[in-house]
Amino acid sequence: MSDIYTYKNVSSDVPAGAVSPLSGVRVVVQPNISVRGWPCDAGSGALEGFVPLQDAAVITRLKSAGALLAGSSRMSELGFGLVGETTVRALEEGADVAVMTDTMGEARVTAAANGLFGFKPSFGVVSRFGLIGLVPSMECAGLVARDLDTIVDVMTAIAGKDPNDPSMPDEPAVDLASAREGFECPFRAGVVKESMDLLNETEVRSFKAGLARMEAVGAVIQEVSLPGYSLFRTVHNTVASVEASSSAGKYDSVRFGHRAPQGKNWNEMYLASRGESFRSLVKAFLFQGAFFQFEDYGAFEDACRIRNRLVGETMDVFRTVDFLVFPTRRTGHDPWEAASVKAVYESFLLTLPANVTGSPAVQVPACNVDGGVDIGLQVMGKRLDDARLLCAASAIAYTVPGGNAA
Amino acid sequence: MIFSERLHCGLLGLPDVGAEVLLAGWVDALRDHGEVLFIHLRDRSGIVQVVFSPESSGTVVCAAAGGLRAEYCICVKGRVVKRIEGTENPGIATGEIEVAATELAVLSKAGTLPFQISEKSMVAGVSAKRDENVSEDLRLQYRYLDLRRPTMQDHLMKRHRVAKVVRDYLDEQGFVEVETPMLTKSTPEGARDYLVPSRHYPKNFYALPQSPQLFKQLLMVSGMERYFQIVRCFRDEDLRPNRQPEFTQLDLEASFIDEEFLYSLFEELTVRMFRIGGVELPRPYPRMTWLDAMNATGSDRPDLRFGMTFKDATDIFTNTSYGIFKQILGRGGCIKGINVKGQSERLSKNVLQNEYAKEIVPGFGAKGMTWMRVVDGGLESNIVQFFSDAERQAILERFEAEKGDVILMIADPSWSLVCSALGQLRLHLADRLGLIPGDVYYPLWVTDFPLFEATEHGVTSSHHPFTMPDRTDFDPENVDELLTLKSRAYDLVMNGEELGGGSIRINDRALQNRIFKALGLSDAEAGEKFGFFLKALEYGAPPHGGIALGMDRVVAMILGTPSIREVIAFPKNRSAYCPLTDAPSTVASAQLAELGLLDLGGAGQVLPGTGEQQDLVDRLSWVSRIAIDVTEQADIKAAVADALNMADLVRDNAGNDEPMFSVVAVENHTRGGTAPRVSEFSQTGEIFKNAPAKKGGFFKVAAVLE
Repeated sequence: MSDIYTYKNVSSDVPAGAVSPLSGVRVVVQPNISVRGWPCDAGSGALEGFVPLQDAAVITRLKSAGALLAGSSRMSELGFGLVGETTVRALEEGADVAVMTDTMGEARVTAAANGLFGFKPSFGVVSRFGLIGLVPSMECAGLVARDLDTIVDVMTAIAGKDPNDPSMPDEPAVDLASAREGFECPFRAGVVKESMDLLNETEVRSFKAGLARMEAVGAVIQEVSLPGYSLFRTVHNTVASVEASSSAGKYDSVRFGHRAPQGKNWNEMYLASRGESFRSLVKAFLFQGAFFQFEDYGAFEDACRIRNRLVGETMDVFRTVDFLVFPTRRTGHDPWEAASVKAVYESFLLTLPANVTGSPAVQVPACNVDGGVDIGLQVMGKRLDDARLLCAASAIAYTVPGGNAA
Repeated sequence: MIFSERLHCGLLGLPDVGAEVLLAGWVDALRDHGEVLFIHLRDRSGIVQVVFSPESSGTVVCAAAGGLRAEYCICVKGRVVKRIEGTENPGIATGEIEVAATELAVLSKAGTLPFQISEKSMVAGVSAKRDENVSEDLRLQYRYLDLRRPTMQDHLMKRHRVAKVVRDYLDEQGFVEVETPMLTKSTPEGARDYLVPSRHYPKNFYALPQSPQLFKQLLMVSGMERYFQIVRCFRDEDLRPNRQPEFTQLDLEASFIDEEFLYSLFEELTVRMFRIGGVELPRPYPRMTWLDAMNATGSDRPDLRFGMTFKDATDIFTNTSYGIFKQILGRGGCIKGINVKGQSERLSKNVLQNEYAKEIVPGFGAKGMTWMRVVDGGLESNIVQFFSDAERQAILERFEAEKGDVILMIADPSWSLVCSALGQLRLHLADRLGLIPGDVYYPLWVTDFPLFEATEHGVTSSHHPFTMPDRTDFDPENVDELLTLKSRAYDLVMNGEELGGGSIRINDRALQNRIFKALGLSDAEAGEKFGFFLKALEYGAPPHGGIALGMDRVVAMILGTPSIREVIAFPKNRSAYCPLTDAPSTVASAQLAELGLLDLGGAGQVLPGTGEQQDLVDRLSWVSRIAIDVTEQADIKAAVADALNMADLVRDNAGNDEPMFSVVAVENHTRGGTAPRVSEFSQTGEIFKNAPAKKGGFFKVAAVLE
């Protein structure tokens, strides 16, 4: 056990001579994705000592594409927030790409804080079979890497319909091959005027620098409006807490996980085991969910009504622009230090909309920079427009302004 | 109106014709014939018909009577008249007369009734239409109305009669009724105690008595010689349909007596009690040892209203070549059977094999059942070909078999399993075939119980540790010998139910010590649990013994009611809940605080079910089954407060869109194939690899219910 890895793979050799799309690519995962035989506790006492019997679909696909599974990192409890998360250090120590569950923007914010690329695919294009999740309607496998090509390669390997994940919709597969093709500029990028209210002066200056760079590589920037923008946070918090409370119901200390020693009857066994399993941050989140579930279900339904409206407003905006651009992270809100539900949400405010609407979003480094502080440039596309989004990100990142692609 | 002149409705008759009477009671039923209104007026004594007509009552009283409704409480003055020939109602005791009302006073009005109370028709030869499907919980919720019904009043009055007979007879016999405390010390033996917290001694508890056992023995030490009490007892046991958390016992103890005294006393007493219900019990009651009862009926409370007692067939098969029997006898087992006389028509091969042998008997714990139908020329069965001629002949003789009989046998290495399974089978068949005669009461004494039962670690008392053994020269460390000891205990059994039981007690401190030693209790442990009682045995305790009888059960049997709740004024329902008062209920945390109970669950532990109503966080902790400790309280409170604010915010901004639960269209995916898929991991057993506790091929969990 290291302080970076919960499990480090010592036998990660690929078969010699095999030519595979991900040959030599070292992948770090989080311990909430099932790898047969690896400890996989999702950072929670609720899964104390749990060792999966089966690989997750993502793992199966990575292995068959020839990737080297370097190990699994440490993570926050059940992936809520980033406290204790060590993916970045694994990347610093040699891993090429990280698979990181993105429920609120974890992959993008991690990338933005470390000068890396981060990608959250459209909801429903990567199988969640074997993912020990918390918020089924919002979470998906995010990727963090030093370059975009690796992200495209890994996405190509892991995306696609999986019969084991019945939540995946029956819709045409995302054509990721086209992500490698050149991109026709100019593209239209929208800045949501309501989002600007969230930014402080430094953030505005950084963002303007990023927008200038985009214009320099041929983007047409225009201001658009999402009237419900300020509600993304509340909708996310309400819906996600309910889904988390529901998802965490399975941690009953019977089939796996931690069993408290006391408990003479079934109820006491649950109460004590679950009380000891979850730490206080996740507990607070689960209590919020329980409040909506058991005391005010109407509020949960209302949040889902607003979610419908927000999805509709976002779709409308994509009729006039190809992409929306935002900064990725906020200064002064460090997600690795966020100790309350409120603080966690504060640190992911700019990334939540992609999760609420199921849209793909990519974080591009080294654009939104002011005085050496990179807050990250986040480009969000229409759902299932992942390939074009990655093309645009490539254009933004690698085009030398006024010249040819680097 | 002056109530001192009041007469009772049900006692009026032809001799009263012409008399002016004052009656008071409830409107049981009404019949409106236009100008003339008839009502049934009911009081505790019965029902009488009252007539309001313009001729006898005058228009003012008639108009007032028009406003009467069922269960109004009224007072009536009138004249007793003989009914016109042909209008008598033999359905009520006063059916030959009626009362022509001259005055009426409504004493109290009644609202809409939750169910009908009247049980008597106003028309001769027609039975009152009653909705028999009134739920018991509704009856219990409005018990005061339910108890107005003549049937229920009769139950309570007969119960009173039974108790009176008990008191009168025991008084005649020199017994003194002494009350023993309700707030007493918790003893770890027996069932669970109901505990009562003490305010003066925070975190200390009284227990409500499970029985006055030790107190009544102390009364013997006190020299009361003959004590009895009709006393409430409390046991916090698992729910059963015919069980109440509190119940009434006739408890009795006497000094300088032996078993014969108690048998004779109790037989005469129960004969008198059953007479209240019109049942004449034959004396003396038969007696049966526990061993005979088990060997004949498989039960320590045999139902002897019908035959079908067991025959032992073990010896018939000593040298059998039938493999299953041979194997069982080789392991020291036994074979017992019953003869279901003349029932082969109703017990076809199919019923015997597919219902009884395959389903019913395995449900009683036996691995199988052997059946034989007696036909012309011998036995017919699916296995009889494995029996020798001599074995077949011996079976026919042993079971006194005749054509048309069905012989059923159960074989097992365990004697007690054979007894128990065959005993249940006997009852099942008797019930199914209607072999149990109604209106028959078969009391008997079961005696000579084993003093001890074997446990994993040694022995435990079958009755209680104060029961006198049949001999006192035993070695308290010899488990085999201890298990041969019989107790001087006795049960009074009737129709398969235990009505009561008792024993001669130990009055010798040295013998009591040896019993504790046999039970593996050290002097210190015995002292801690029963010290006050053991000390009393050191001061000249007389020889004594006693018995206790379950009054609720006996009264229910005397009155032939289907449940003991019918003979209890305010019972709990089957779930040990009182729909009338909504007990048990949560209490204010202030009450708990006063009792020093708020932190009883240990530091920070939430006490389930107590403060929920007071605190949203506690309630959420309970419904989501997540305990929180004190250090987490503040954060969680803040998060829940945020949730309340979010609820307001989304409500204000909800709009009219449909709720969207997923951004992708939700589709139903039906798994192909029809055969259930069995996980490969359950087949390999790997599925248990992650289990925190397992036992055999199962996940081990806490008990579902306490």
